[in-house]
Amino acid sequence: MGVVTRERHVKRYRAIACFPETEHATSLHMSPSTLLVASHVGYQLRERRLVDDIDLTVSRGEVLGLLGVNGAGKTTTLRMIAGVLTPTSGTIRIDGADLSQQPQMARRRIGYLPERPPLHDELSVAEYLAFCARLRGIRRDTVETAVVDALESCDLTEHRRRLIGSLSQGFRQRVGIAQAVVHQPDLVVLDEPAAGLDPVQALALRELINELGKTRAVILSTHLLNDVTACCDRIAILHHGRLRYASRLDALASRDVQRIAVGRDLAMVDWLALPEVVAAEPAPGRHWRVQLSPNADLAAFASAIVTRGWGMSELRPDHTALEAIFLDIALSPARDEAA
Amino acid sequence: MTTFLVAMHELRRQWVQPFVWILAAVLLALMAWQFLLAVGAYLQISPRLGAMPNAPGVTDLVAIPLLRSLATVLLVVIPLLTMRSFAGERREHSLVLLLAAGIGDARIVLGKFLASWATVLVMTVLVSSLPFSLRMGTAIDTGQLFAALFGLALYAAAVTAIGIASSAFTVQPALAAALAFVVSAFLGIIDLGARLEGVDRSAINYLALTTHFDPFLRGIVSSIDVIYFALLTGVALFVATLRVAALRRIA
Repeated sequence: MGVVTRERHVKRYRAIACFPETEHATSLHMSPSTLLVASHVGYQLRERRLVDDIDLTVSRGEVLGLLGVNGAGKTTTLRMIAGVLTPTSGTIRIDGADLSQQPQMARRRIGYLPERPPLHDELSVAEYLAFCARLRGIRRDTVETAVVDALESCDLTEHRRRLIGSLSQGFRQRVGIAQAVVHQPDLVVLDEPAAGLDPVQALALRELINELGKTRAVILSTHLLNDVTACCDRIAILHHGRLRYASRLDALASRDVQRIAVGRDLAMVDWLALPEVVAAEPAPGRHWRVQLSPNADLAAFASAIVTRGWGMSELRPDHTALEAIFLDIALSPARDEAA
Repeated sequence: MTTFLVAMHELRRQWVQPFVWILAAVLLALMAWQFLLAVGAYLQISPRLGAMPNAPGVTDLVAIPLLRSLATVLLVVIPLLTMRSFAGERREHSLVLLLAAGIGDARIVLGKFLASWATVLVMTVLVSSLPFSLRMGTAIDTGQLFAALFGLALYAAAVTAIGIASSAFTVQPALAAALAFVVSAFLGIIDLGARLEGVDRSAINYLALTTHFDPFLRGIVSSIDVIYFALLTGVALFVATLRVAALRRIA
């Protein structure tokens, strides 16, 4: 898709969804369940600022999606959170423990899957995971249980005796995820976990992330918006090393449009006749993207459609708002360039 | 405990691959061949030695030259063993597993050092079985032999530490091996010029590996030589630790 076309795409969606201008980094929202607090974190390599003044928080039971185009600073940010890279400015705290002051204690509470899984090809899956568990402080007598749990959660039990070097890309990625969760960390950091997975494996990964997100804090870096809408509670969009947008996903969806599939050919005036509707736009295949007024009752709206006999077969929040915001930010120049 | 865990894991990773087995086999074959040549030569000259007062024995003429030769060969073998410690891991993007694990950089370095050193010691023990086999046919000076083996273990520790440090400075294992060989060989011959001039007690002599290794081969265990090797090993491991810490600051 060319740049001009993409810009039109963004403008079209912005028109219907009435997006506000891009929000900038939100202030830190901390609660008792907040596990990770990254405050004014930056990384400078010589004269280049790869990450600049980022604030992030993640709580237990929450999945944060870190979005951004290639080179936006996602991986550098995750490396700093995982304790692999030392920030040149700012502080990162895991449950109150400063990553720079108490690195060993803090790092053991993190499970990290880098972009390329850190595997040892010459070992079997079980051997490798047992080492990972011991490395992260799991006691010798509970290592076996931890490995079995990790193998099961990543659907690797049948492959436990296979050499990692003989596994396909998808299975290698799953072993990488297993090593990140084998020690039951409080914070799981996943950098592009779906890379190399087939659609079935990608679906299983989403289920795993959703499961992890119930009890743990998860940070998921991706540029697949479907993964974000399927797994994440909150999103943060990075661009040129800066946090350009942060929001809860449900907040983003609730103020946006609903996507509705109907069984009849309708005109825009049909939709505007409904009191809840502010704007409507046709989408391919008898789908409509309909924006509701801020206080609209969704149940009453659905009931009105059914009453009119439009043959509604689908009604769901439309996440193209996220896509529009993402593209809007991705197409914008860096602040320095803009200035 | 974590150091031991890393060391055992590294040791396992080394020995499940054919490279170490091939290296050990080649080393043993080379040393065995040299040993047989030395024993053959000794048998030829032994009647004449019997007539000489204070003639050197089989330990001086067969066992010690073999261990001296082993020390020279280790200058090549050890860099080949240590080259992948950090360089290979960085190239395969697997070092992050240790960096993110919540163990100190010094423990990572020490664990990898202990694993490689243990492998070198296993090879040294295998080779040393050759001179000890002479006990079946003749008397050997076991004291001198143990002193030489102790010195060889210290020497191997120093060269291994240099190899580990070299490996931390590059992502190319071959370059790491070359760097380790050059540094170790340079330390071996640093006083060559002075010795050719007949100077053997200057400061530069004290820097050389050979100055401190030779007394062990003569059966002399001196604390100054032990301290030299311990210091060299410590400095190399400290440099490696600093380098690993620096890797945490490079994106």
